[in-house]
Amino acid sequence: MFIQLDHISHWYGKHQALRDVSLELESGRIGLLGPNGAGKSTLMKILLGLLPPSSGTGQVLGRDLLHAGIELRRLIGYMPEADALVSGLRGADYVALAGELYGMPRKQALRRAHEVLTYLDLGEARYRRLEEYSTGMKQRLKLAQALVHDPPALLLDEPTSGMDPAGREAMLDLLVRLGQDHGKAMLLSTHLLGDIERVCDAVVILHEGRVLCHGPVHELCRRRQNRYRLLVQEANEAFLDELRLEGVQVLNDNGRGELRVAVPPGWTTRAFFVLADHHSLVVRGLQVDDEDLEELFHRMVTENGTSANRPA
Amino acid sequence: MTAPLLHYRAWQGEFRRPICSVWPIARVALCVLLRRKLFWVLYSFAMLLFLMFFFGYYLFAWAESRPELAKIQIGKANPSQQQVQEFFRKTRGILNGGQDTFSVFFSYQGAMVIVTLALAGSTLVGGDFASRGLPFYLAKPISRWHYIGGKCLAVAVVVMLMTTVPALGLYGQHAFDDWEYAVNPDYFLDYGLSRSPAGLPLLLGVLGHGCIFAVVLSLLLVATASWMRRTIPLIMVWMSLFFFLRLVARLLVEGLKYDVRWRLLDLWNDMCLVGQWCLSIDHEGIRPLPQPEYWEAGVALAGVCIACLIYLSRRTRAVEVVR
Repeated sequence: MFIQLDHISHWYGKHQALRDVSLELESGRIGLLGPNGAGKSTLMKILLGLLPPSSGTGQVLGRDLLHAGIELRRLIGYMPEADALVSGLRGADYVALAGELYGMPRKQALRRAHEVLTYLDLGEARYRRLEEYSTGMKQRLKLAQALVHDPPALLLDEPTSGMDPAGREAMLDLLVRLGQDHGKAMLLSTHLLGDIERVCDAVVILHEGRVLCHGPVHELCRRRQNRYRLLVQEANEAFLDELRLEGVQVLNDNGRGELRVAVPPGWTTRAFFVLADHHSLVVRGLQVDDEDLEELFHRMVTENGTSANRPA
Repeated sequence: MTAPLLHYRAWQGEFRRPICSVWPIARVALCVLLRRKLFWVLYSFAMLLFLMFFFGYYLFAWAESRPELAKIQIGKANPSQQQVQEFFRKTRGILNGGQDTFSVFFSYQGAMVIVTLALAGSTLVGGDFASRGLPFYLAKPISRWHYIGGKCLAVAVVVMLMTTVPALGLYGQHAFDDWEYAVNPDYFLDYGLSRSPAGLPLLLGVLGHGCIFAVVLSLLLVATASWMRRTIPLIMVWMSLFFFLRLVARLLVEGLKYDVRWRLLDLWNDMCLVGQWCLSIDHEGIRPLPQPEYWEAGVALAGVCIACLIYLSRRTRAVEVVR
């Protein structure tokens, strides 16, 4: 079990940052989503053992959150969002220092720093001063210092922040490889939903300190079986009107024959073809319009906001 | 980013205890400092003072043995031969390796240390706070006390390199000249030179004096550098602590005849007083007079150290590792 949280709450004075969070997440690539102020940072601090929860208990990689702060941070490689660089150092020294701080002997830390930097394609830049690194290189360097001691789990805070598209793709590839090929469990906190869709196989959505939903991305997004993406050659208004008469909601029409529709209960896909035939139209494509992560996220946040505002 | 040149390899090995992280933190801070040319310039000045003490003893002994040198004329002053000889004798007495030698040596070297630390504070400590390097340390499996310990150790090493290590060199010089100096605690009494201890008590006194400087200055620097961060504000704070407060203390005690305890405001004087206690110097012989008791200076320094520790604890607790 990667993360097991049991009714974790945390207060900052009178403000409650986390509300009764209970989670059970198996080892894997997990995305942590939530708007600003949702409690992501507080949750990460608690997972790193930097902040004791106000109430509740939990374990990360089998270690108790309350009593194993230092041991926890040894098992986790943390990649911070901020630069967090030690000015005046060279790349290899910086990563080796991280290794020593994790508890590695000096020689092994240095050797491992060179290995990891080469693996992350920073081999040629390893003797440059940190001030001379580009944003993309800094991101990889931060990943290197998190990986240097070969931790079983990684906590990644905005790992692609500030990177160009090519660098971002490469970083995401790397994260997938680390997860798939080397069995690293990772919790990825980001605002970029695309990153999570690309890397993660599970997601946790936080809002106002509560877990709105968690689970495999494909399962969460498959809850919308009543929606279809319909491709019709030269769709006309009459066809659309007839669809509406049958109780079909046309959610989106891009004007080039691509429709996104919600069908009423009992609807069969054959009906699309029958209606199209009535209007002498050709159906070029029909597929279930699975909800993507962005839609899932917005729906969850909106539904939660509505229920929260609803009077008791 | 091209294809990786090396496959990711697992690492298997024993992790060391968090306390072992203190030295890497100190070592890295020292490495960054030692790359600065300014540090070496200041260190060279400090070593010049050491060389003056090292060779001064021989120089004055030689001058004392050359009567023609006593006829020197310095500007318009025309001291008598006796006065010059007396000056040579007294100065050689200060440089003879007794408690006064080390007290004066620490005092001069300490001034260089203060200047060096004021300029090095932002490199050693302040940079971590100014450029958000601190979360890098605190996200690792160490506590904030390991970080503070590492930084204090780095400062202490600088202080020791500039004061205690050269002082041990001076001690070794005199021991090399006469081995009895190193083994006989009553060496100076036996030869009727002074009441200073020698041998092991003196060596321990030198180490104690150095440790007082190292502990107080390291805590003070780490606290002020984490507060001020940049070099110029840090220099201003150190000027206030070691120059302005010294003036105020003198004014209150010597000018306005306030209670002698007001001199405790002078941190530099407090450190020297406790150091002189380590060297077993008679309290009555300390200048300028009047001086607070040794224990009072010790309590004042302990109070400063505790205040620094409390501040550092709060300062590092407020750092957001995860933002």
